[in-house]
Amino acid sequence: MAQHSGPQQRIFSPIRTALHRFAFILLIVSCFALMLLGKADTVLIERIRGAAVDLVSPIMSLAARPAASIDDVTSRIESFANLYEENLRLREENRELLAWQQIARNLNYENKRLRELTHFANPPAQHEVSARVIADMGGAFAQSMMISAGTRDGVQKGQAVLSDEGLIGRIADAGYQASRVLLITDINSRIPVMIENSRDRAFLSGDNTDRPILTFLTADASIAPGDRVLTSGHGGAFPPGIPVGIVSSVSENAVRVAPLFRRHQVEYLRVVNYGLAGILKDPDALHSMPHLNQENQTVNGIDLATGVGVAPLPAEDGTTEDQPGPASPPSGSAGSRP
Amino acid sequence: MKPGVWQRLDVIARSTVPAFSVFVLLLVGLLPYSIPKLADVTPALTLMAVFFWAVNRPDLMTGFAAFMLGLIQDLLTGLPLGVSSLVFLLVQAASANQGRFFHNKAFTVMWWGFAIVAGPAFLLQWLFSSALSGALLPFVPLMISYLITAGMFPLVAWILVRIQNGLLRNL
Repeated sequence: MAQHSGPQQRIFSPIRTALHRFAFILLIVSCFALMLLGKADTVLIERIRGAAVDLVSPIMSLAARPAASIDDVTSRIESFANLYEENLRLREENRELLAWQQIARNLNYENKRLRELTHFANPPAQHEVSARVIADMGGAFAQSMMISAGTRDGVQKGQAVLSDEGLIGRIADAGYQASRVLLITDINSRIPVMIENSRDRAFLSGDNTDRPILTFLTADASIAPGDRVLTSGHGGAFPPGIPVGIVSSVSENAVRVAPLFRRHQVEYLRVVNYGLAGILKDPDALHSMPHLNQENQTVNGIDLATGVGVAPLPAEDGTTEDQPGPASPPSGSAGSRP
Repeated sequence: MKPGVWQRLDVIARSTVPAFSVFVLLLVGLLPYSIPKLADVTPALTLMAVFFWAVNRPDLMTGFAAFMLGLIQDLLTGLPLGVSSLVFLLVQAASANQGRFFHNKAFTVMWWGFAIVAGPAFLLQWLFSSALSGALLPFVPLMISYLITAGMFPLVAWILVRIQNGLLRNL
């Protein structure tokens, strides 16, 4: 660009400075407008977030592969370092699990018989979608992950997301081929939970640390470190009985829970739709529920495999509340695990 | 002599390199690494790049570009909308006016400059994020994240200097 000569420069330069200043102020104002707009949590913003996730997901799923192979090397080195301890621990755990497997088989059989006797209506079958983690929105402010499944695969906002160990979060924004998972540790996450043994109800509230807090606990609740925390199914967002975490510390002002998943090792997640509308109150989301019978989902009945880890079966566990008679002895014995 | 179409396209493509590099760094920061505890203290790679380009090429890292990059970051990471935009915009405005100061000085001066600019930037992000989520966010990971970000600046700057010398020398 050619430099302007004297008089022109004198006229245009102040105008340009004024324009610059005006643009700057306009952008600052836009920032605050965006904050208000984002706080209002409109469907539009959700759509845009979903679209943004969609746009980068092809790049991320390609780029995540080399990253995963680097992970492989580091985890190999890590596992070599504590091979012996790991082996001891696994043997111990295996012995324990075999005992539990026996108990679970017996209970499953017994439960089936009792259900037949009482003509118990089975809970609806659940639909599952497996997805790879393609991004981890780390940082002091964000506790979410990006996964490679979207509305194309039947994923909808609000569905539960499980790792092998237990609940990891819920779908916050669903794009067409990718979605964002809000982890249970995020400050915006509130999950209705209960303590496995005492059946005390509470909310698990994230606070962006890796140890979310139990809130709205009743004063007479009896909680000790080591207690298992399960979803309670209240509010209809998640079914009851999904393992969430283990109480890690109990003090005067806060009961903290250690989630079951290890964030840096999560590779594949399962998005589970239990057919519960729950918090999906907006008509748009409900309208899209019929999509759920599409082909690339696996349909799981309530089977032994649905129980995560050594937990009692989610479905059975939930029914124990409503059916104290026949079903509670199994649950009691299962729940007494230290 | 008028520049040809290809030449003009080339210039346009090159002038988007700074903004594009910030976007690439954003994606690099999003990759799932399986390093324990990293997720809590991820360095703010994008902030480094916005600062670097605002200092060295304020004509290519404009306020508008900073604003848009912040918006993309908020949309992708699920942060409250507008916060990163504001932070990037202020960092851009603060460092674009300091470009002459860093000229022909040792790299350490720029490093210090970044550390000084990044402090308020982190604090601002923390304040606004806390205000918008209605609770105080944990402060310790923020401090660690700041220290890692400040410590990693030379590495990112080294890459960006290579890009600048390779692609933007004649622009």
